[in-house]
Amino acid sequence: MKRVHRSLSRSALLQALRSPCRATALALTGVLVAGCGGEPEPEAPAAASPAISRLPLNDMPPIAVAEGDGLPDSLPADLVWETNNEDPVFASPDAKRGGTFRAWMLSFPLTLRTVGPDSNGTFAGYLRYNRLGLVTFHPNTRRPIPALATHWAFGDDGRTIYYKLNPKARWSDGVPVTADDFVFSVQFHRSKEIVAPWYNNYYTERIRDLKRYDDHTIGIQVAAPKPLVEMHYEYGLLPQPRHFHKLGENWVRDYNWRIEPNTGPYIIDKVEKGKYIEMRRKTDWWANDLKYFQHRFNPDKVRVRVIRDMNIAFQHFLKGELDAFGLVIPSYWHEKATGEPFDNGYIAKYWFYNELPVPSAGMFLNSAEPLLRDPKIRHGLAHAMNFDRVIDTVLRGDYARLPTFSLGFGDYDNREIKPRPFDLEKADEYFRAAGFATRGADGVRVAEDGLRLSFRVTYGDGHHTPRLVVLQEEAKKAGVELELQLLDRSNAFKQMQEKKHQIGWMTWGSSGLSPRYWEFFHSVNANKTQTNNIVNYADPAMDELIMAYRASAEAGERVALARRLEQMVHDSGVVIPTFQVPYTREGAWRWLQLPPWLGTRTSGSLFNSQAVSAGIFSSGGLFWIDEDEKERILQAKDDGVALEPLTVINTDFRNPLSADG
Amino acid sequence: MSLFTVSPLTVKQWHRFRSIKRGYWSAVLLGGCIVLSLGAELLVNSRALVVFHQGEWFFPTYGAFLPGRTFGLDYDHETNYRELKAVLAARGEGGWVLLPPVAYDALENDLREGDYPPYPPSFASGHYLGTDSTGRDVLARLVYGFRTAMGFAFVLLICSYAIGIAVGAAMGFWGGAFDLLFQRLIEIWNLVPFLFVIMIVASVVVPDFWTLMALMVAFGWTQMTWYMRTSTYKEKAREYVLAARALGASSARMIGGHILPNAISVIVTFIPFSIASGVTALTALDYLGFGLPPPTPSWGEMLAQGTNHLESPWIVTSVVAAMVAVLLMVAYIGEAIREAFDPKKFTYYE
Repeated sequence: MKRVHRSLSRSALLQALRSPCRATALALTGVLVAGCGGEPEPEAPAAASPAISRLPLNDMPPIAVAEGDGLPDSLPADLVWETNNEDPVFASPDAKRGGTFRAWMLSFPLTLRTVGPDSNGTFAGYLRYNRLGLVTFHPNTRRPIPALATHWAFGDDGRTIYYKLNPKARWSDGVPVTADDFVFSVQFHRSKEIVAPWYNNYYTERIRDLKRYDDHTIGIQVAAPKPLVEMHYEYGLLPQPRHFHKLGENWVRDYNWRIEPNTGPYIIDKVEKGKYIEMRRKTDWWANDLKYFQHRFNPDKVRVRVIRDMNIAFQHFLKGELDAFGLVIPSYWHEKATGEPFDNGYIAKYWFYNELPVPSAGMFLNSAEPLLRDPKIRHGLAHAMNFDRVIDTVLRGDYARLPTFSLGFGDYDNREIKPRPFDLEKADEYFRAAGFATRGADGVRVAEDGLRLSFRVTYGDGHHTPRLVVLQEEAKKAGVELELQLLDRSNAFKQMQEKKHQIGWMTWGSSGLSPRYWEFFHSVNANKTQTNNIVNYADPAMDELIMAYRASAEAGERVALARRLEQMVHDSGVVIPTFQVPYTREGAWRWLQLPPWLGTRTSGSLFNSQAVSAGIFSSGGLFWIDEDEKERILQAKDDGVALEPLTVINTDFRNPLSADG
Repeated sequence: MSLFTVSPLTVKQWHRFRSIKRGYWSAVLLGGCIVLSLGAELLVNSRALVVFHQGEWFFPTYGAFLPGRTFGLDYDHETNYRELKAVLAARGEGGWVLLPPVAYDALENDLREGDYPPYPPSFASGHYLGTDSTGRDVLARLVYGFRTAMGFAFVLLICSYAIGIAVGAAMGFWGGAFDLLFQRLIEIWNLVPFLFVIMIVASVVVPDFWTLMALMVAFGWTQMTWYMRTSTYKEKAREYVLAARALGASSARMIGGHILPNAISVIVTFIPFSIASGVTALTALDYLGFGLPPPTPSWGEMLAQGTNHLESPWIVTSVVAAMVAVLLMVAYIGEAIREAFDPKKFTYYE
């Protein structure tokens, strides 16, 4: 399981604002796309292509393989090699290279490592998503497309994949990327020296074996079968530069500020600690001419500055010191992003609907709490929450109600489920049935034994207070008292992980090709700390279905199971889904140019310089900087000449489920 | 002499205080505001003062909530009296509703379809100072926030002065090792970064009124000790204390009965400024988000909202004006008290 937590639903928004790349949001969360390795195999036949001089083998122990696992010693002859060069390109051939893209982050990273302590900060997104995986996914068709690998094939046991690497692939220092780097990656991620237990575990439990067949062919064996297409994502691996790392007990310290060679378009060029990090476009990037990477990643430089406050960063943006700014938050789009630079057409506003997996934002009811054990109370609560009122007022009609826990996975979505509406009569019915028929002097329902219908809502984001106070006031009508507990973000998450909350107001990041249920609803994760089943839900019927879903490798069956699971989640009432933001909104100075189609189906952000976004789809780097235009616009601004204002609302990829209202 | 006898000196001081017009009228005004705020429910409230319905009288202000069905409306939650007023007028059965001057309370969200808060001030809607970003009445929040802030400042004052005076007097009276020990302790205690402690506590638990109070008292009592220590040292050496000692008075009696009344002028002149600092401290904490939990009406929270919504200037203007007015009045009062108690004018040993 990939633990993808986003501690707060704001962070989806905040991240979008934080830098024009929403992908960063996932960086924070510990999403991993990691490399793999095979054995260093000293005795393996050195059938390398003569063009590549092999580096000396490292002295790491060979990859340990558990009983019952293991790849065949030689490449099976009957493999069917697949590739995908038929899908349409999505970058614009008009794109021009050059210029510096100026972005920002809230704090300076504590390290430039991509694994180990402190490596999950905001900047990690820039590091992680500037590395290419074996394959990535087409942002419109959602089909796999070649990246480091040109071809792939599946073994007949359902849990092996073979990849042929692109011989052109190079690290940023010019060293070729070979099968050995994948072998090393497994050794690296399994080693204790990197102080990354999550990776240690992932590369042991999930990646069961990796073999090098020749310099450019590897095989990977994983823990459990998955639908074939999902295999690439579920067990995605990244190579590690074998020539760069010398693992030792001081690795964490020694490599803290070293710049690791990567395979993506940008590499860190300048680091001014506490101030900014500047990345440079590789002029001779090995993937420049690959079909799906052409005309992308156009700025020569990307400079990410530290600005420690969002309001101040916005002022920098208005002055033209930042090129783009996220405007997802309603007050930004409607109020702050108005006035001279917008009216005079110097800054354009884009509202772009996308179809990404929707973060699971909700009120998570801890069913281990005495009051919340009763499904009638949980359903009553859902009917007592006036989300429409919140949407229509403080959210300005910009957000939509989220109908289900998981959404945005195409066929997997259960579109039959309608969210429980604010309905005082139904709430009353449920609460009466649960023994809360009368109201106390303050209007809050009380049971016969004097127990009040009062709940503590734990949340970690001050920006959400206005939403919660509206819910709180409306809930009084149903005789429910909500007590708001605003904690520091990490403490709010900690409280939920320790299952000490009553109602947790939070958002789980969502990614991949199909929804997940095991970590959130399986009984093995209930009633123990540090798991994501924060609703403490334990139901044998649910467990059985979840295990069937996990075991199934057949797409049609999985879709059916996922829909049934979603229905069970809905029926249990342990989650009250809240809001969804099925779009990105950004402001950008007019010299930033976009293709006519602006972005892709899965663009989390239009002004994202990373190779991979949202951890899976390759949608970034479509924009470019027009230097002539920049001069013209700055001149017009100095002269006070008004240009035609530009606000674009693009609904090409608007999901029918996401329709507002 | 006891602390509470009206001595001729006190009368003189009172006259002197009254003669300083600015301070005197500030005291009258601020006192009036505080008294009024104690009955804020009668002035600023969404509950009606009086409802006359089908021959029955209702006084909803204090006491249990009245569900809408009481008045023949179709819901079980608290009656919306503003609506009820219109409904009863329309029914024409002789029922009527008397609403308070400001018919909103500090928590309710008055939201309208098709328009987004904050709403600007308007006499038509009854939001005389507009609403905040979730449609809550600014005036109502100001009034209830004032009550909270003043209440907080007074309780804080009493608690921290009680500790500060007791410890300070003991240090001055006993002196020696006790004094030395406490001096060092207080010096060390003062070095603990108070704001960080509050921030840490606020990130783990939601501080309520009393938690905040306990924290502020824990770090606020030290200031008074220095003044009390000094004046106790001074007074202790005077003949009247020696006389009391010679007569066999106990330590408690000497401190409480003799030294304290003579040190009172020091304490009294500090009171207004302590009130001001109590109000500003709570406001600052709320502003930073480490104060009272939402949705408690508070000036700091309004200030934060106001600065985030500069395009809706009525929020920030209202709260800044209120703040300036209160702090100015407190400062005038403090100034007048200092004048009135100035020993250069009235020395006890004339």
